[in-house]
Amino acid sequence: LSVLAAPAMAAEKVYKLKMAEGWPTNFPIFGDSPRNMAKMAEEMSNGRLKITIDSANKHKAPLAIFDMVKGGQYDMGHTASYYWKGKDPNTLFFTTMPFGMTAPEQYAWFYFGGGMELMEKVYKRHRMLSFPGGNTGVQMGGWFRKEINSVDDLKGLKMRIPGFAGEVLAELGAKPTNIATGELYTSLERNTIDALEWVGPSLDLRMGFHKIAPYYYTGWHEPATELQFLINERSWKKLPKDLQEILRVAMRTAAYDMYIQSTHASGENWATMTQEYPNIQVKRFPTEVIEAMRTANDKLLKEKAEANPVAKEIIESQAQYLKQVRAWTNIADKQYLDSIAGE
Amino acid sequence: MIGVLMFAAALVLLLFGFPVAFTFGGVALIFGVFSEGMDMFAFMPFRIMSIMQNTVMMAIPLFIFMGLVLQKTRLAEQLLESMGTLFGRVRGGIAISTILVGALLAASTGVVGASVVAMGLISLPVMLKYKYDKRLACGTICASGTLGQIIPPSIILIILGDVMGIPVGDLFQAAVGPGFILIAVYIIYILVYTWLNPDAAPAMPVDDSIDRKALYFKAIKAIVPPLALILVVLGSIFAGIATPTESAALGGVGAVFLALFYGQFSFKMVYDSGIETVKVTAMVFAILLGATAFSMAFSYTGGEEVVEEVLLSLPGEKWGFLFLSMLVILVLGFFIDFVEISFIIVPILVPIAEILGINMTWFAILIAMNLQTSFLTPPFGFSLFYLKGVAPEGVSTMDIYKGVMPFIVLQVLVLMLLLFFPEFMGFES
Amino acid sequence: MSSTSAPLLMRLENGLNWISDRLGSISALIFLLLLINVFYDVFARYLLNDVSIGLQEMEWHLFAAMFLLGVPFTLRVDGHVRVDLIYERLSPNGRAWIDLAGTLIFLLPFCLLVAWFGLDFAKEAYELGEGSGDPGGLSNRWIIKAAIPVSFGFMAVSGMGLLLNSVNTLLGYHKPIYHKTEL
Ligand code: NA
Ligand code: NA
Repeated sequence: LSVLAAPAMAAEKVYKLKMAEGWPTNFPIFGDSPRNMAKMAEEMSNGRLKITIDSANKHKAPLAIFDMVKGGQYDMGHTASYYWKGKDPNTLFFTTMPFGMTAPEQYAWFYFGGGMELMEKVYKRHRMLSFPGGNTGVQMGGWFRKEINSVDDLKGLKMRIPGFAGEVLAELGAKPTNIATGELYTSLERNTIDALEWVGPSLDLRMGFHKIAPYYYTGWHEPATELQFLINERSWKKLPKDLQEILRVAMRTAAYDMYIQSTHASGENWATMTQEYPNIQVKRFPTEVIEAMRTANDKLLKEKAEANPVAKEIIESQAQYLKQVRAWTNIADKQYLDSIAGE
Repeated sequence: MIGVLMFAAALVLLLFGFPVAFTFGGVALIFGVFSEGMDMFAFMPFRIMSIMQNTVMMAIPLFIFMGLVLQKTRLAEQLLESMGTLFGRVRGGIAISTILVGALLAASTGVVGASVVAMGLISLPVMLKYKYDKRLACGTICASGTLGQIIPPSIILIILGDVMGIPVGDLFQAAVGPGFILIAVYIIYILVYTWLNPDAAPAMPVDDSIDRKALYFKAIKAIVPPLALILVVLGSIFAGIATPTESAALGGVGAVFLALFYGQFSFKMVYDSGIETVKVTAMVFAILLGATAFSMAFSYTGGEEVVEEVLLSLPGEKWGFLFLSMLVILVLGFFIDFVEISFIIVPILVPIAEILGINMTWFAILIAMNLQTSFLTPPFGFSLFYLKGVAPEGVSTMDIYKGVMPFIVLQVLVLMLLLFFPEFMGFES
Repeated sequence: MSSTSAPLLMRLENGLNWISDRLGSISALIFLLLLINVFYDVFARYLLNDVSIGLQEMEWHLFAAMFLLGVPFTLRVDGHVRVDLIYERLSPNGRAWIDLAGTLIFLLPFCLLVAWFGLDFAKEAYELGEGSGDPGGLSNRWIIKAAIPVSFGFMAVSGMGLLLNSVNTLLGYHKPIYHKTEL
């Protein structure tokens, strides 16, 4: 009898994981993804896997989730990989890249094109696992107070645009500028900066930028921003096989759910914005500007590939995969949208 | 439960008089380690780092420096004296000037510590010199220093906008009216109080031998430079030359130039102002370091859940909810920094307020006014600590406590006005 | 103020105070650099249309270093606020007892514990070679992170100074550091 009882008892053990998210309490969309995930994991495991979530309001360190998960203060994190590029340059590639893949293309790369393996390779060094954590879809190129008609218009342009995209613009003479989030609105309103990028209608609406900047440029720099679930390796290994699998499925489902939720919210909020402010002018960067950005982007990627063998491997994998999958996207999605668009 | 005990323990232990910052830290340590073990303190470096990277707070040392240079070169004194003279036989002229200068400073910064400390340095010595009642002087400074909370740009409104999902521009716009009403109410109070108690704030002695015109001319000459400096600070923000934080540096450098212009400059003066700035800034930030440890222990030992439970058990109707939530914020404001309150408490309130159909902009302004009041409430209002930190010898803690009382009453009255007559302030309730 | 009867404890206190005073001077100089730094950044952005993320980041580095090193100095000059309703009415010995107990129970354990975890924090940044993730940002993030254990370590040093100050007061060598009085 005792032989039979033991595994039954063991199966009832409840595993508790603490997760830190990089967003404030009640933050729409981004904050829904980890909560959906935790709820699914708990229900699928019949209550054996309980995940509690601390928001940035509680842990105060949204830009140190990497360290807190690595150090074991938290078992998991919900954040984005490119925030860690200052700690490990190779983490940059697992969120989104300028001129890179769209969300469906990038998911295909992660799960069928070798992306997950490369991500594992990068995070293994830090004794962590990383999984896709939800996609925003194409992010907008940002709010501009003045029109960009040529590469010259980018020269001296003071823009809040962090990370790698900022480096690309700096190559063209723009001046990426740091402004505290709380002072962004005032800075744009008073021309302390000329432009800024945030996300897209899903999250830009509540920032109110559309009231003070007339031009809304379409995206080029973050075509498919993928968030990230980070897990401490020791916490992962403590879970029995079935719970690991439940967690894996919950994360993958929550990530996809966030992608469609973003699409939904962007559509809804875009309608609100254009209704309230019919004067918003949606603009596309001229071809000349886009080409200059692409050249700068390629140059910087080449430098990164030369500096680091793992970076080289990732950049090549992404480039090859993009080339193949894009040919299909172009004759499928793009042709479909173009051919039915009419005038 | 541990959270509640922590509050009680801090309340008693702070009264022993060991520095506030380290009492907060020590209480956090004892309760945190007892309940969660040493490892909880592994979070501290992360929390400290977030204070270090909060560039908005940089305005604190920069404004303190500006205040110190203006004080050491006696430019601030001349400004306030001359403004006092312009009020002629009106009693309380310097106090009214303090309110006005405080309001101007409030319009350039949103950081309360910065404006209380700067006003404490600039105007407290002057009011004491002209035999103002110590309590009136202290109350005036604390109250005018906290105006920065409500008059835009204000950090608290920015944070609330973020937490509550309201565009910051809307909040700034909505706060202007209540801000002006507060200023008016303070000034009326000072006029009435000094009329009833003539000795509390003597009018500036008027030298009858000098011709009135010459007197005004002399006064204006003294007012223009420092006032121009403040306008430069403000103007640089409105012209988009600088962010509010950066404008504080323009003020500091500008003050040094003024000193140069008036022949008051010396490297020693600059260095001494630097040392004083360090002292006052360290005093303010040590409290923030202690307070972050305290709120860390509070939230990781389950204090947050206790508060949430209390708040969720609130009556499901508008007035009960509004009243109790205001009360909870006021009480927590005794101990916890307003940033932490906005982060911990406000997110719990927001969904309930939404269900009750409360106008969110109005609710945000109510919370901001309430937090402003909690800065002033003894025994642990942060403004009181800050003023005590820069007050000259002879100003006791009790003077400050008693001095702010009438201003607390005034604030509560304006808060009530806003609560019961939102239409009056331009809100739809 | 006797200097012959307990030279050791007094000299030790003075030695610790000397260290804390130096921190004050360093901190003041860092502040002046901060002032120039911010002023220059505004000047360059507005008049030269030039922005350097590195210099912008230098602002918070200087700001953080300034207040972190300022805290131990301020402890030594008794600049930290006390709720002195009771404290100011106590005898010098009463005050010394409170400072002695507070330092032992609150200050030293708190500062040493934070310093201890701060070491790991800085070490991790050093091992990763962490730097800024923004274009033109500063490298060597470990230096500013190390300011945390350094600051809290020196707070403990200043705390030892306060402890000795209390002991020396109780032994009758001098008055306690606190000197604010009613007019
Ligand atoms: Na973005
Ligand atoms: Na303000």
